[in-house]
Amino acid sequence: MSEARVLHAEVGIVGAGPGGLAAAVELVRQGLSVLVLDEGQQPGGQIFRQLPPGAAALPGQEPPSHQAGHGLLAAATEHAVPVHHGATVWNVAPGRLWFEQHGQSWLLCCRHLVLATGAFDRCVPFPGWTLPGVTTAGALQVMVRGYGVVPGRRALVVGSGPLLLPTVATLHQAGVEVVAALEASSRWRALRALPAVLTNAARRREALWYARSLLRAGVRLRWGWTVFACEGDGRVQRAVIGKVDAEGNPRRGSERRLEVDVVGAGFGLVPSIELGQLLGCRTRYDAPRGGHCLEVDGQQGTSVAGVYAVGEACGVGGAEVAMAEGRLAAAAIVAAVRQTPIDAALRTRVAAERRAADAMLRAFAPLPGLHRLATDDTLVCRCEDVPLARARAAAALHGDSLRAIKVGCRAGMGPCQGRICGSSLQALATGRCDVVPDLPVAQVPGKPVRSATIVDAPEPPATA
Amino acid sequence: MVETAEVVVVGGGIIGCAVTWQLANLLPAGTRIVLLDRGPIAGGTSGSCMGHLMVTPDDAREYAFTHESVRLWRELQEQQGGFDYNPTGALYLADTDEDAAMFPVLQQQFGACGDHADVLDRKQLRELEPGLAADLPGALFYPGDGVVLPMLACGAMLRAARQANPNVVVRPFTAVVGVDCDARGVSAVRTTPATIATRAVVNCCGVYAPELQRTLGGPPLPIVPRAGNLAITGHHVSPVRTQLLEISYLRFAHGAAKVDPTRTDDPGGHAVNMQPQSHGGCLIGSTRQFRGMDRTLNPALLRRSLQRAQRYAPGLAAAPIVRTWVGLRPYSLDKHPLIGPWPAVPGLWVAAGHEGLGISLAPITGRLLAEMFTGRPTTIDATAWLPARFGA
Repeated sequence: MSEARVLHAEVGIVGAGPGGLAAAVELVRQGLSVLVLDEGQQPGGQIFRQLPPGAAALPGQEPPSHQAGHGLLAAATEHAVPVHHGATVWNVAPGRLWFEQHGQSWLLCCRHLVLATGAFDRCVPFPGWTLPGVTTAGALQVMVRGYGVVPGRRALVVGSGPLLLPTVATLHQAGVEVVAALEASSRWRALRALPAVLTNAARRREALWYARSLLRAGVRLRWGWTVFACEGDGRVQRAVIGKVDAEGNPRRGSERRLEVDVVGAGFGLVPSIELGQLLGCRTRYDAPRGGHCLEVDGQQGTSVAGVYAVGEACGVGGAEVAMAEGRLAAAAIVAAVRQTPIDAALRTRVAAERRAADAMLRAFAPLPGLHRLATDDTLVCRCEDVPLARARAAAALHGDSLRAIKVGCRAGMGPCQGRICGSSLQALATGRCDVVPDLPVAQVPGKPVRSATIVDAPEPPATA
Repeated sequence: MVETAEVVVVGGGIIGCAVTWQLANLLPAGTRIVLLDRGPIAGGTSGSCMGHLMVTPDDAREYAFTHESVRLWRELQEQQGGFDYNPTGALYLADTDEDAAMFPVLQQQFGACGDHADVLDRKQLRELEPGLAADLPGALFYPGDGVVLPMLACGAMLRAARQANPNVVVRPFTAVVGVDCDARGVSAVRTTPATIATRAVVNCCGVYAPELQRTLGGPPLPIVPRAGNLAITGHHVSPVRTQLLEISYLRFAHGAAKVDPTRTDDPGGHAVNMQPQSHGGCLIGSTRQFRGMDRTLNPALLRRSLQRAQRYAPGLAAAPIVRTWVGLRPYSLDKHPLIGPWPAVPGLWVAAGHEGLGISLAPITGRLLAEMFTGRPTTIDATAWLPARFGA
């Protein structure tokens, strides 16, 4: 019975977003057997998220970048790229992916692994951030574009970085009035991204499209502003907004109140690297790219032989970067199998896309002062209900490492395993916002799965 | 100015915290007590173990030892709280008639100690724990056991210590580089930032206790790590509300190891232990394997222990497991902890080697050590746990 749940492919790919799909399409075109595992119900990942089958399309036009998404999805269909949806990869070893799908425990045996695991939202705790109606920008996209849910009537969009604009556009398309869009970075800091935008035709078109979409939505982007607190009886009813200085420190006294019933907070992304960590892949810290990332060589290879990483897992960069890296990883695998050279243009493309993305990210790198928004009773770990004061007490008594704070107050030990609080916990608890935070330890399962999935995990066949 | 301390406690796990707490209670207020750990407080075994407060009725001595400790835990709860103390009692489970035959035996042992436990039939068991498998042949319920969250309990003990004595100093991330001795014995502890002049050091380093002891010469400390694989579910899914363990646990875990603890090819074994958590999760252990300091997961042992847990609580099969990990128990070669002076080095004390009972026994260990340290008569006869038995 166990044998039936063991699958085989030359290449196993985790993630059907732009990076994973681009790699898969290229590998299938080259005649290699591929299997893509993805947690979502449809291919495309977060950025090219598709509406559920049968749902009415959102009114209005799509941003130009989504054309690339349609092209990629069409290519995946044309080449019949096999994708297992609803598949949660929970354990990994070189050439082995254990996953749960529809309550069943499976093993994929392969010779090469591509990690295209994407990123998750960076959360910045502020008073009231756990009120119903306050979500991450990513969650709003899932609600509107993944499930066709209209989250409310009057929305405030806050955060930092290029993801604010799609959030405004999506809410406007869904018929939600966006009463304000607040970018925490100053206009002058953001100007640093300008050369990268102006010198890249695709990014220029994209920026122009979003500038027009703001106009259509009647929203003016306010630079150097953010949310200080959300208030409401049982759910968000008001947001307190205010100005921040160049480091993100709140300027008390600048507060204003807005009546809203939805707040989308998008303070950037954090690379999802757990599977790479479980494999023993080397990591590096890159603050503008979102923090701890998987280290890759010039062919997207990680420090573990046969394991490649593409897209946000090796540092946040966006869909264009992910697709370029996916194609390069595919070429590297084909080259390894067939002993053929890699087209140098693929590497040049990755470098160019990364340069442009990095310029953008540096202009919107996380602002340390935003950690001063939280007050003593603000929850820093919403899984374990840990307020900031308790996390601070834990750091003071147990020590200031991430591990010390966790064992001192249980923050980061709940169902999300630190995905929500992990990026800010140490800075908040120690009050030191400018030091490199510890790398969280990855433990099996990479994502929560049923106990029975672990008990029933198929053994790798002896011959494989 | 030279830093001085009456006593330096090395090791900020549950034993070091308990020793600090009890020393603070018994030494005059104002006495300088320093607790050091090279990592976080509760960052080692106490941050990766279960929290079963277990009363064991093997004989009158063991019973007094464990029972008094659990009483001290209740005192800490009343005084401090904040560590998820939950007096659930313990259910001993069996799924074979042979094991079920042990229920009355264990019941008699509790009786002989002047305590009591109840043998439950199938129906009574279902009433107490409806989430357990319907075909189980009953259970033994002992009401005196409980559950704590050890890592938070470390903090509670240190808060209690500081309330008793404001001169308690807690220093995480401070490694001991060496212990200096003169003709009178211990004279100073050299740490990474500073040297502390002191006439007393307590080694509470658990699985690392031999490492500290080696720097001082003399016979080696007879403690080896015994690994356990653990798994924890998400919130609000625990099918059980009581601390549960297989009665075979007593045979397997509580008795002396059947294998040579220094061998490296120990296949390991398990007797499942399931512990309800304060957020409605369930913590599942407990496997045992000697394999040095290796803390990588043993998937086969973990699977077997989850399988046993599912056999007793079928609802667990669908519960999400959010994390698995390995903890190392400090196993002493004669299966009893070492509590007291280390005669080979005057001024050196040891409190270590509790294997799987470190959480249960932490308060009494701290109490006994503090009593010996201050020259008081001990609450219970502690001769059996004196480190001198190992020829120091």
